[in-house]
Amino acid sequence: MYKLTGVTKEYQKGRGVVGALQGVDLTIADGEWLAVRGRTGHGKSTLLNLLGGLDRATGGTVELDGTDLGALRETQLTRLRAQSIGFIFQTFNLIPTLSAAENVESALIPLRVSQADRKARTAAALESVGLADRAAHLPAELSGGQQQRVAIARALVKEPKVLLADEPTGNLDEDTRDDIIGLLEHLWRDRGLTLILVTHDTSIARRAQRTGVMTNGQLTIRQESPNR
Amino acid sequence: MFFITYLRRELRRRMRQAVFIALGLALGVGLVVTVAAASAGVNKAQSGVLSALYGVGTDITVTGNAPPPHYSSAGSTQPAKATPPPSKNGQTLQISPGGGAQICDNGHCVNAAGHTYDRLVPPYQEPISASTVAAVARLHDVAAAAGVLTLVDSAITYPATSAGSPQLATFTVDGVGTGHTPVGPLAAATISSGHFFTPADSHADVAVVDSGYAASNNLKIGSTITIKQVRFTVIGIVTQPQDTSPPDVYIPLARAQTLATATKNLGGSVANTVNLIYVAAASAADIPAVQHEISRRLPSDIVTAAGSLARQVTGSVSSAAKLTSDLGKWVSVLVLIAAFAMASLLTMAAVARRAAEFGTLKALGWPTRRIIAQVLGESLAIGIAGAAAGVGLGYAGAAIIAAVAPSLSATAPSSTIGSMQQVVQAGGTALGNRTVVVPLSPSITIGVIVLAVILAMAGGLLAGALGSWRIARLRPAGALTLVA
Repeated sequence: MYKLTGVTKEYQKGRGVVGALQGVDLTIADGEWLAVRGRTGHGKSTLLNLLGGLDRATGGTVELDGTDLGALRETQLTRLRAQSIGFIFQTFNLIPTLSAAENVESALIPLRVSQADRKARTAAALESVGLADRAAHLPAELSGGQQQRVAIARALVKEPKVLLADEPTGNLDEDTRDDIIGLLEHLWRDRGLTLILVTHDTSIARRAQRTGVMTNGQLTIRQESPNR
Repeated sequence: MFFITYLRRELRRRMRQAVFIALGLALGVGLVVTVAAASAGVNKAQSGVLSALYGVGTDITVTGNAPPPHYSSAGSTQPAKATPPPSKNGQTLQISPGGGAQICDNGHCVNAAGHTYDRLVPPYQEPISASTVAAVARLHDVAAAAGVLTLVDSAITYPATSAGSPQLATFTVDGVGTGHTPVGPLAAATISSGHFFTPADSHADVAVVDSGYAASNNLKIGSTITIKQVRFTVIGIVTQPQDTSPPDVYIPLARAQTLATATKNLGGSVANTVNLIYVAAASAADIPAVQHEISRRLPSDIVTAAGSLARQVTGSVSSAAKLTSDLGKWVSVLVLIAAFAMASLLTMAAVARRAAEFGTLKALGWPTRRIIAQVLGESLAIGIAGAAAGVGLGYAGAAIIAAVAPSLSATAPSSTIGSMQQVVQAGGTALGNRTVVVPLSPSITIGVIVLAVILAMAGGLLAGALGSWRIARLRPAGALTLVA
């Protein structure tokens, strides 16, 4: 699935250059669940952005199914994101003016799916996260956990190969966190997804097949969990 | 449709800002509509003025040039230095050796007491041969031509006794052709009662009178009016378009030529002459060529086209035209620029606030052009709302102008006005400037409404385009980092 070779990412900061990633080598297999831990500012989100084609590496290569993402044009990367990659964000990032169903439906807009098909798939996705009865609610009318479930439904409605989750439980209480992680784990198993999850939480990281730790832009794979 | 749903919800969320932008655009557009309406009203007023001064359907007029001054001119406070010489073929008014007035007719003089001295004279202009009218009518690209002899009848009635002073009564007379022509002083007139002249009336003592003159002198069909001691029977009463200043009486051209007397230095006779030719060109595009050709053939006469007359019109209508075309235009442009700038800045600010949203959409795989289309759609909707409100404001502005604006006046120099009525002063005929008062009626045309819609939509699209430029530059990772 993913093969990262000597990946570096540098940002210009004032007159200086900050190295967010420093020679990351990583291989992620199809259907694998990888958790990435690390302290704030050590490159976790940067790694996730490169994996999701949201940003480009300064050096090295990021390959997805043999395709070098750095060599793709912006439109090709956009297409790739629309078809193959689902994102879940810490702050949910739902469109505040759209209902839960319309937020989920928005992920199908770039795929040019017919309206009837969009409605059906949206309903199924909301059903799969247990929010069929909240379809018409605006994000502001939902709890944090429900909003994150909507975001998960939005990420999965297009049936992606990869699910990238950036601190998906960072804004949730402990009980809700467990619900969401349980849901993600269920969906990962059920759908054969490749799940890459960035988290601060060691207990969540332990549930992944492998855990990597980002320290000063360098990734170390430390653990292989029983899920493997 | 997802596009519409998203657009509607977003505008509802930003209702206050959307209304603010729409009102800004509406203000600019409303001002443009108001100025355009006022400008159209002024143009209409100018057209009314030109029609009044010039004659409906007339493209060009030809008038005789004024010869070197011999008598006092209009407005002069100096008495005439020369006394009209005795005439062998008409009445003259002379001072008797005893100092009293006497009326002489063909050399026979009587004391003026108890008598009326009646003069029917053309303005102080070189006459134009009647055959010239036919020559002009035959010119290429001339649709019609009509010759007119404009005259002023002035009658001084002396009291029978030395008690009391002489009474002066004047009215204007146009000698006109009795056949139907599409141009001329009667071309735009409507008959109130009776009928127009017929070709059989060419040598008859019949008259058509203006409705205003008929009302003030209690004239009806069958009444008689005396012109140069000849009684004319009224056969028609006509009404001219509003804002025009028609002559009081129309008589057959041949009778006018027979009765009128020109001053000596104009030859003393107006037989077979006219002093004004109305010309209609075959099309508006032909007017310059026709004017040029007539000027070439009649170098000593004054050939005036409506356009050149318009340039010589002065007065408040001219000031209003300058006001709307200069100040109004620039104020509108400045307000529009301000409205566009405000709409653009607010839209860019809104895009900046929605960076997270657009970053998320990009992460979901929305192409940049699809997001831009969404933002442009929102801006366009605001622009359309601004256009609708702007047209409403424009109508309100036009209504206010119509309610409070004073009537406009226009003054044109007499030398350019063929149909102008003459001012008669004792002892001679003089010409003066002519002033016409017209109401200002702003009018909003379909073209102005279309312009308003286009402007408002352009403002909305400009704002949307600037916002889109920001979106196009937005990298998804950067936008999501901003959120974080």
